[in-house]
Amino acid sequence: MRNVVKEWSEGHVTVTVRGKRFERLINLAVREGLTIWNITRKEPDLGQCEMMIADFHRLRPLLKETGCRVHVENRNGLPFLLLRMRARAGFVMGIFLFLIGLYMLSTFVWQIEVQGTQNIPPQTVLRAAGKAGLQAGSWKWRMDNPQVLQQRIKLDIPKASYVAVEIIGTKAIIQVVEKVEGEKPIIQDSKHIVAKKKAVIHSIFAETGKTMVKVDQYVEPGQVLISGIIGNDQRQALVPANGKVEGEVWYRSEVIVPLIQNRLVYTGEKQKRHYLLAGSNVLRIWPFETITYKHEKKTEKRYQPSFFDFSLPIGWKMEIDRELEPQIVRMTEQEAIEVAKRFARKDILKQAGEDAKIKEEKVLHVKQENGKVYISIYYSVIENIAMDQPIIPQVPKQEAGQSNQNN
Amino acid sequence: MRKWSRRLRRIAIGVLDLPQDVVIEVPRVTMIGHLQMYIENHRGVLQFTEHELRLLLTNGQLLVKGDKLVIRAILKEEVLLEGRISGVTFIQNA
Repeated sequence: MRNVVKEWSEGHVTVTVRGKRFERLINLAVREGLTIWNITRKEPDLGQCEMMIADFHRLRPLLKETGCRVHVENRNGLPFLLLRMRARAGFVMGIFLFLIGLYMLSTFVWQIEVQGTQNIPPQTVLRAAGKAGLQAGSWKWRMDNPQVLQQRIKLDIPKASYVAVEIIGTKAIIQVVEKVEGEKPIIQDSKHIVAKKKAVIHSIFAETGKTMVKVDQYVEPGQVLISGIIGNDQRQALVPANGKVEGEVWYRSEVIVPLIQNRLVYTGEKQKRHYLLAGSNVLRIWPFETITYKHEKKTEKRYQPSFFDFSLPIGWKMEIDRELEPQIVRMTEQEAIEVAKRFARKDILKQAGEDAKIKEEKVLHVKQENGKVYISIYYSVIENIAMDQPIIPQVPKQEAGQSNQNN
Repeated sequence: MRKWSRRLRRIAIGVLDLPQDVVIEVPRVTMIGHLQMYIENHRGVLQFTEHELRLLLTNGQLLVKGDKLVIRAILKEEVLLEGRISGVTFIQNA
């Protein structure tokens, strides 16, 4: 029935009508086709209603007919707003200037972000961008489009394989993908392979270089096994010798094993203790009375809730005490020899290297004295005896720096 | 002549099952609780105060009583009334 948009855009007024024949006025107005609404009667000869501006002018003859008087109370709508704005021209101008200013400022690039650089310093990228015409404060309309910009920036940075420029509002994002350098081949200095230990050659295989020894030959430490000098007397060349040489090395190990040993053995008795942790304080909660063992082994578990770097100051600790008991163990000579062998083997393998193999094991001598067994065992072990030696001896910078696992 | 026309209309209502307000000139009143009242087919405002609205009908008057009455909108044959309505009375002309 009412059109609020039309009321606002064309403007409407609130009027008070003073006069006895208010109802007559309304009837006449309605018959004339005037739009009036929100009619109230405040006093017997005072009414109020709202109407459109155009209708207000058509009301005049009717007022004369009914002998009423109107008084405009309120003016609403766009026409009146425009009138008021004309009175405050400076204020309105300010609003528009502000909006224009805001828009103009948003047509500049104010911030540049460089992403994806690892080895290239961001300053280099920014400098290249500045040369291409993209820097903080450059006007977007005067700038070339991002495709052209990224092409130019890329040409300026040889280390980049791809550059993407994206402008979001007043922010320019430069995404750089760096070139991945291919791995450089390691240039090896020419070298010999020499013997590390006194040994008999078990197997020899040269990848580069000339083999100087034969299988079953006895070698001294420092003796050249694979030579880095190849060729004959007329033509010679230096190469980094490389290969695998295994030799048989001998070890002799002396072990002393006492026949009577004192050991601590678990009895099976144990006690659990619970503690509450608060900061650096520890409070025992269970049990009330603790038993102390003569010999014991403690294990501890802590529960402390933590979130990334932050841990709560409150936690829980559980302790288990297990009782131990001393026990005397007697061994026979045979058992002692077995124990000795076990220790000796471990020791030999530690000396010979991980990939060593024990070829032969011989108990040479067993002597029992003062409750102890003295055992000497002979081992022959096959192990890697190759060692690098640089050929140019003047400046031996990195003697064993380059191991023979480069290839 | 007038009597004859009225009789014809009554027959039409009965036979054709037409709504009465369309055929004979009586008002159609729609009320939403005691808050709003919509009256069609009136013939003008006779009296309007905060407590009373008297509308002219073809054959009598309609008297609406209430409190804080406001005519939200008015057209030639329609009135939208709001306020606290307490009573509606029809006054038939003889």
